[in-house]
Amino acid sequence: MFTTASKYFLGLATAAVAALVLYLLFVIPNDLGAIVFGALVVVGGTIAGITLFNRDGDADTIEDATGAAAQPVGNSMWPLVCALGFALMVVGLSSVAMVFLIGLGVVAVGAAEWLIQDWADSASADSKFNNFIRERAISPLELPVLASLIGGAIAFSFSRIMLAMDKSAGAVLFIVISSVVLLVGFLVAFKPSFRGKMIATICTLAGIALIAGGVATALSGERAELAEASAEGHYMHKDCGEEESKYFDKEANNRVPLRSGVTATIVLEDGKLRAEMIGYPEPQNFVVIPKSNDVSVLFRNKDAENRRMVANLGTETVGETGVEEKLYTCTQLTGKNQENVLVLNIKKQSSVAGPYTFTVPGIDDSIEVVVP
Amino acid sequence: MKKIKSLSRRSVTTLLAVFGVAALAGCAQNAPQDTFVPKGPNADMIHDLNLLVFPIAGVVGLIVIGLIVYTLFKFRDRGQPIPKQTHGKPALEITLTIIPALILSVVGVFTFRAVFDLAEDKDTEFIINVTGQQWWWEFDYPIQEEYGITQPIITSGQMVFPVGTKVMLRETSRDVIHSFWIPALNGKKDAVPGRIHLLRMEADEPGIYAGQCAEFCGLSHANMRMEAVALSKEDFAKWVQNQLAEYQPPAKDTLAEAGETVFLNQCVRCHQVNGLKRADGTPAIAAPEDNVYSGAAPNLTRFMTRNTFAGAIFDLANKKCRADVWGASSSEFGAKYLAGVTEECLNTSDLRAWLRNAPAVKPMYANPSKLEPTDGKYRGMPNLNLTEDDIDKLVAYLLTLR
Repeated sequence: MFTTASKYFLGLATAAVAALVLYLLFVIPNDLGAIVFGALVVVGGTIAGITLFNRDGDADTIEDATGAAAQPVGNSMWPLVCALGFALMVVGLSSVAMVFLIGLGVVAVGAAEWLIQDWADSASADSKFNNFIRERAISPLELPVLASLIGGAIAFSFSRIMLAMDKSAGAVLFIVISSVVLLVGFLVAFKPSFRGKMIATICTLAGIALIAGGVATALSGERAELAEASAEGHYMHKDCGEEESKYFDKEANNRVPLRSGVTATIVLEDGKLRAEMIGYPEPQNFVVIPKSNDVSVLFRNKDAENRRMVANLGTETVGETGVEEKLYTCTQLTGKNQENVLVLNIKKQSSVAGPYTFTVPGIDDSIEVVVP
Repeated sequence: MKKIKSLSRRSVTTLLAVFGVAALAGCAQNAPQDTFVPKGPNADMIHDLNLLVFPIAGVVGLIVIGLIVYTLFKFRDRGQPIPKQTHGKPALEITLTIIPALILSVVGVFTFRAVFDLAEDKDTEFIINVTGQQWWWEFDYPIQEEYGITQPIITSGQMVFPVGTKVMLRETSRDVIHSFWIPALNGKKDAVPGRIHLLRMEADEPGIYAGQCAEFCGLSHANMRMEAVALSKEDFAKWVQNQLAEYQPPAKDTLAEAGETVFLNQCVRCHQVNGLKRADGTPAIAAPEDNVYSGAAPNLTRFMTRNTFAGAIFDLANKKCRADVWGASSSEFGAKYLAGVTEECLNTSDLRAWLRNAPAVKPMYANPSKLEPTDGKYRGMPNLNLTEDDIDKLVAYLLTLR
């Protein structure tokens, strides 16, 4: 009465029912878990019904069988890929979530390929035709995904190599690689005999070398200068003095494209500061900022000199040393009639941790920052 | 045929019942969020526009629906042959283009005028910063010395302002998009993180005006309410004076004094009471940024001067006292509101239920085992597992915050 496939799916549905009951009884009730098992019951039951109804799609007699059914199928690597994916998922469950996700991706790809392969193999008795329809079905998906993976691996490997190499050596490497690519391009264009397997071999070897280099340099780490900068937070440090900072003011754009959301605009004009705020008809000498809220404050410099705005945000005790350190942040140097923006999120009210102010080095004026 | 007739009768009865219930809903008396009862010039503008647009839209809607229903019945399939197909009738098409264009032009002129009038911000007389978060509203009053506000005032749930004054609300949000809406005083305006949106507010008469967050903002969106309280200018000055008055600790050896200790041990982690000091004399500073996802919790200074709590979903005053304040005449309202919530008026059952287990009475993602998405922080008040004894003390202490 029960066909092979229906037995499998009925078994799955029954196991899912048991799992659902046990889950609800002994595990802390969790909506997601119950939904997963419930869905498994429904899906297993439905597929079992379908397979029972169509008798697994099997021909009743050998005469009814198509030629395809009698054809031996070729070897397939997809079960192996799926097995590898499952292994990765199991390892990932007990180690790193990323490994589990990679395993899930491998299983998804393997299962999709396996299904298409199986479908194509049973399409007809002609293996060439079967191969043709498989290509037609899967190539639009397979090629872009494969190209993205290879492209991503090359870009990642190349970036690791460049981050590990000396700056000057990197520039030389860039010149060499681009020259080689240009040379190969010329050879391919003007020497027909240089096509085919030869070029494929060169590309494969170059790709393998690049990826191997990328893996090696990724393991060895970035060059000393970058590692040191990262450890010391060079790029986070802001020099908020009157003078130009070598790192912080580098490539300041002084243009703020989005300004409709600013809480206040601090304008420096004629040696004085004023705060223009949305909703206030007149400029003020204070700015109100709600605590624990991301706000943008625009600095507009109408002074002839390059200036920057500094947000003085009280003090903070450093670790367990008890040393009080000033908290501040600032904009980059801003040219005449140009603007920069500061994004702030102040956690403590000004009456407790303040006073907070906006100042401009070299200018004897300030704007009070009130955090109620 | 008989069956069809009986079905039609049943359908008509059902339809009539549905429309009847809908029509009766319009007769509700206790509807504080009725959009058709404006209580201020901004709401008046919207109401006037409604009076123009609703009849026009209603008549057009009825004509369109009537024609559709007529066509459906008149030309329904009864096995008749397909009639001769025609294409184009310029005179009719031009008429049917010009008439809607004219209607829309008339509506458009009045709508644009109202929109621009409602967006006016040059005549502002008073400013309140409004910050929305899951699921309550915070109101902070920047220094405005002409109104006696010499220090910022911060409150929640109820927004108090002087009557007959052009108030400008500067709205923003700490977490997701909310929408501030006091139907009797103006339309709704979204509060968006990282942006400042303006909303005018003005009341003709002293009184309380109910409102509701009008943008779905998560689990307790329906429990995110607010009230606008308009006081006469004299009463508002008294309210300001009281809000800025120095903190008065509870009397020695009282239940309230014990409650202050419970407050310092439990509540001050998130809730600020301005002026409150620890036993060693240092100021007790709340640190909601360490415990609450939005980084803020309601400031409870002068807590009992408000009539609501927990996002304005619970009344602090019991039914009798609440009715007394809500039903007060314009001339009596100020005095009754300023009296605050006394021990006799306190709605102890809701306040105690809140202190006993807040998430049980207002859903707030407060399950300690499910705080991973919020970095271990709560989105509202968690269950503090207070004993009944602690709750007694806390209630006694909160009653002193007036």
